Amino acid sequence: MITADRHAGRSVQARTRQRRGNALPFAAHVLAVAVLAGCARREPPPANEVVALRAAALASDPGDAAWARAPEFVAPLIPQDMVEPRQLVASTGVVRVRALQDGTRIAFRLAWVDSTFDDLPRPARFSDACAVQLPQHFGPDLPAPQMGEAGKPVEITYWSAAWQAVVNGRPDSIQAIYPRATVDHYPYAAPSLAKDRVAQEEFARRYAPARALGSPQSHPPGQPVQDLLAEGPGTLTPAATTRSTGRGAYAKTLWSVVLVRPLPETMRSTDRAQVAFAVWNGGAGEIGARKMRTGWVPMSLGGAP
Amino acid sequence: MARVRNWQIGREMSYWYPEQRPARQFAAIFDTNKCIACQTCTLACKTTWTSGRGQEYMLWNNVETKPYGSYPLAWDLNVLEKLGGGKWVGDRYEGRTIFEAAQAGERVLGWRPEDVDYSYPNVGEDDCAGDIEKGAFMTLPHNRWFFYLARICNHCSYPACLSACPRGSIYKRPEDGIVLVDQSRCRGYQECVKACPYKKVFFNPTTGTSEKCIGCFPKIEMGEQPQCFVNCIGKIRHVGFVSRPEDARADNPIDYLVHVRKVALPLYPQFGLEPNVYYIPPVNVPLPFLRQMFGPGVDQAIETYRGSADDPDLAGLLSLFGSTPRIVHRWKRVNDSVLGFDESGAEIIRVPMREPVHVRLAVDLQSNIARQNCP
Repeated sequence: MITADRHAGRSVQARTRQRRGNALPFAAHVLAVAVLAGCARREPPPANEVVALRAAALASDPGDAAWARAPEFVAPLIPQDMVEPRQLVASTGVVRVRALQDGTRIAFRLAWVDSTFDDLPRPARFSDACAVQLPQHFGPDLPAPQMGEAGKPVEITYWSAAWQAVVNGRPDSIQAIYPRATVDHYPYAAPSLAKDRVAQEEFARRYAPARALGSPQSHPPGQPVQDLLAEGPGTLTPAATTRSTGRGAYAKTLWSVVLVRPLPETMRSTDRAQVAFAVWNGGAGEIGARKMRTGWVPMSLGGAP
Repeated sequence: MARVRNWQIGREMSYWYPEQRPARQFAAIFDTNKCIACQTCTLACKTTWTSGRGQEYMLWNNVETKPYGSYPLAWDLNVLEKLGGGKWVGDRYEGRTIFEAAQAGERVLGWRPEDVDYSYPNVGEDDCAGDIEKGAFMTLPHNRWFFYLARICNHCSYPACLSACPRGSIYKRPEDGIVLVDQSRCRGYQECVKACPYKKVFFNPTTGTSEKCIGCFPKIEMGEQPQCFVNCIGKIRHVGFVSRPEDARADNPIDYLVHVRKVALPLYPQFGLEPNVYYIPPVNVPLPFLRQMFGPGVDQAIETYRGSADDPDLAGLLSLFGSTPRIVHRWKRVNDSVLGFDESGAEIIRVPMREPVHVRLAVDLQSNIARQNCP
């Protein structure tokens, strides 16, 4: 099944053409307003593939007027129904993609409609999120679009609304989740440690095993994004360092997220590539393998500014 | 799905991974007849492991009043209802396990508790109707009885949490069968929380990972009993290692009570996880309820337990509970004493089956004065 989906890009285009008639008009309106605000130039016509325009500087904010120059590709999303736990119900229908690149880095702007804003994970509650996936070695023999495959890794940049909230200043406390919560006592808050911040933090780490182990999951790297590698479903592993950056904003049921990441070496000397996208609607219980995704989508890298 | 042998349900069953037994399997026996729900075990665990941010609601150990108490709310009723009834034919369970009943696209039949389900840690405490002079205020399905059910992770032979994790972040230690969440690999998908029917994995919203009872493995590695065992003032608990039935040794305390005397039973064996905390069922509870909770061995277990007063070996071994902070690997009774040995065979505890009785008169006849009831 994985092989059959490998060159799904063509069928994605076909489905795009089929669905364009019933694409979400409200979302399109909101996006157009957001992108075109302050921009006098005409919106380029929709693209039938991802077009990463060459640009001197990459826009890092989803509201940046520079995005209006990049053609929009509407990528239909399909449920991840290949490995358990499967996503059996289709939720988010499309993700609208624009892209810019400067020869070494590539920036994607993803926008999708989500009527429920979820940025606070807790029991049975999940964060909205999105991801961009590129083959680590671009060539004729692409890895499987679903998280790559053994010996053919993919590079993924993952953005989470929960991390965005932390970057935006949400405090790391139980009251951020449950405003009326009271806690009798934390050992690290003992009066004997009150004057020693280092000792306090060391004590707090004892009761946060993921942090004590340096888990990237528990330590957003000052960014709402994380770089990951995978060689097949279930193998997702954080990259040694996260070099990507990102920023997401939510307004009127629309998430707009910019992901800026290094362009893999093998894509710097080509004008054709493939890319894949995934979107998680936290309010629909989507997390991990429960997601809406694309197959490989053709991407042009040679566009002039 | 692989086919594996689950001795607790007397048959093979489907499981996500092939059968792979650890060198030895962590196991515990809880005597429900002795528990007074003082929650000292709960606090011992809480202060040791879950006093951090994001762990506020976590109770790796809890004690709930059955039939109505539960934490999280209705964990047992939810799973039982989803699973539907299942028939036992002798010692063989003919119904479906939660692995065999998994919905399409899922690895395990599960349900997700929400935060409100964790908001009542001691709901149902001591709820009991009946035996009231003018009659009960209301009629409930279970009148005039309750008992306390202490719960930790069962460190199952076929953990649902482990099988549900799509990332393989949960593993079962090959040396002792303790089930752990790898905190450096977990990404907080909460699939384990959904899958564990006993709801003994908890999501930490601060670290974004899921956490669970670790069986106090640093103590186990040192030959010592976990915190909730050594702090149990009712002395209801005993930890050790359980063998498969065909390998059972009568001088292993756990094997003796589980396999030889069959007085300690797994919790909801029909779920199919082969849980490794075994319960001596309460003698005051209607048998139909207990059969659903502990399987078809309940009748015999209670009869055996009731006869322990005239059963020096059984009574003797039960008196080892709570007698030592060390793990007892072997035991034997010598006349009126019960001896416990560590892994090397060294004697670590000797318990008299009957404590010597001293009668102290209320009056000191030599001095002709009344004795005060103080030191």
